[in-house]
Amino acid sequence: MYLKVRVIENRSIGHPAQGIFRLVLSGQAAKIAKPGQFLHIQVSDTYDPLLRRPLSIAGIDKNKEEITIYYKLLGRGTDLLTHFKENDYLSIMGPLGSEFTVPQQGELLLIAGGIGIFPLYSLIQAIDQEKVKIHLLWGGENIDFLESADLKYLVNSGVNVKISTMDGSLGHKGLVTDLLQEMVQDSSMIALRCNNLVSAACGPKGMLKATAEICLNNDIPLEVSLEERMACGIGACLGCVCTVRGADGTVKRKRVCKEGPVFRAKEVVWDAEC
Amino acid sequence: MRNVDMRTELGELILRNPVVTSSGTYGFGEEYAPYCPVSILGGITVKGITPLPRLGNPVPRLAETPSGLLNSVGLENPGLVEFRNSYLPKLALLDTAVIVNISGFSPDDYTLLASSFQKKDTGIAALEVNISCPNIKHGGMAFGTNPRSAEEVIEAVKKNTDLPVIAKLSPNVTDIVEMAKAVESGGADIISLINTLLGMSIDIQTQKPLLANKMGGLSGPAVRPVAVRMVYQVYEAVGLPIVGMGGISTWQDAVEFMLAGASAVSIGTVNFVNPLAPVDILNGIEEYCLKKGYRSVREIVGLAHE
Repeated sequence: MYLKVRVIENRSIGHPAQGIFRLVLSGQAAKIAKPGQFLHIQVSDTYDPLLRRPLSIAGIDKNKEEITIYYKLLGRGTDLLTHFKENDYLSIMGPLGSEFTVPQQGELLLIAGGIGIFPLYSLIQAIDQEKVKIHLLWGGENIDFLESADLKYLVNSGVNVKISTMDGSLGHKGLVTDLLQEMVQDSSMIALRCNNLVSAACGPKGMLKATAEICLNNDIPLEVSLEERMACGIGACLGCVCTVRGADGTVKRKRVCKEGPVFRAKEVVWDAEC
Repeated sequence: MRNVDMRTELGELILRNPVVTSSGTYGFGEEYAPYCPVSILGGITVKGITPLPRLGNPVPRLAETPSGLLNSVGLENPGLVEFRNSYLPKLALLDTAVIVNISGFSPDDYTLLASSFQKKDTGIAALEVNISCPNIKHGGMAFGTNPRSAEEVIEAVKKNTDLPVIAKLSPNVTDIVEMAKAVESGGADIISLINTLLGMSIDIQTQKPLLANKMGGLSGPAVRPVAVRMVYQVYEAVGLPIVGMGGISTWQDAVEFMLAGASAVSIGTVNFVNPLAPVDILNGIEEYCLKKGYRSVREIVGLAHE
């Protein structure tokens, strides 16, 4: 879809210094959006900055026809986006890209690094927690960031949350992958694995690579949501590719905007030398 | 009442209107189909094809610059065989003129590519010869910056295909007119210009180039005045019809190129922002002609010249 959508809400949430915003958009795109997909948003009606901004969908309300997006103020594009007010209209393309698999029963392990939590929110929302038990490992810089990125929502949502922070201000001091390593070595893991354990992750590339290694070494199926600099958002320009290894062993490119952003971790080549 | 004749003549290549899309920005025609019906367009130019498949360059391949975009895709494409087997049959079904863009690393490559596309291949309207890609280490732009090699490449292509041959020129030269004359001598039927301008962007935090390939091709509104100037110069110097491109984002931009001497305009980077830009541009050109009292869009070509 390529259309103008109305802004219902666009405001800073949590600690202002963290620069986290929640953007709620009205429109039919919510009817067809799936967890893991993104919207390609035009932040300026001039040609500087030129390109649209791909932002992952964090919440989908099909009945109210609303899509929720969280974003962190990082550069000119996100700065311009903060200026849109309630009842303004934004030009979007989307929903675009591939989606997370939504398990119908068993155990779901989510691993998030920083703002990588945002697309995972849409997956959590799509899960029937009566049938699927969600375990979330989430790492961030500090407690202020985690609170701003809506930790309270997670705690209230019934998800089993484990936290790590770089400065030790909340949870384990260190990396989220420390938590993952600890978890796969714990005896309780056996029960989870007997109950169809699958996993999904989003975060910085280094964190995803480490996560993929641990999950694949332990036979836990993993989907990852990748990020890459993007132009067209629909597979035409080949700007945002990632490298994958096909079943026959050959190395290929896939488009993060089209075949992705969600990929099976076992096909991703993390340190492509080409 | 709409009564402007929008048909566009580029020698023997006749387009229903002067608005085409640029190679490398429009995939293989199917990506934009849900957003902009191809039947509206004068034509589309598909992603550059090389004899063998190419993975292209590593990422990051993109860097945004003021009103512009640097890219270093590096000619990622499925290769000649796969293109002919999997993409060409679908392209043949599109209700628009399909221009196939070819790219090589040696004159032999261009000979092979040219001989693989003929008029009897239904669905192909013309060949655009990329002698100007800035994103590959050997060949590519080298042909496009040396007049003698450019002439040889175009000659090789002309000898091996009966399709109209479009020579796509690089702006990364001291004298664009010299290049235009060289491809004219080589037998080109049409000239398209400009390809991207070689550029670079450095991240001041990491203190390293933003593109994995270090340098890339600049496109978008930022390059437009350079492109207009080159179209104007080439129109004065050679008699071949011109497809003008380089940062065209609005109908006003397109009209500017036509006044400079372009018989058709090619729409590239702006598609990424506004997938309906080609339609807006087409309607705007028609409206302009109507208001100014022209009965044919062909009448405005080159009007900026004495």
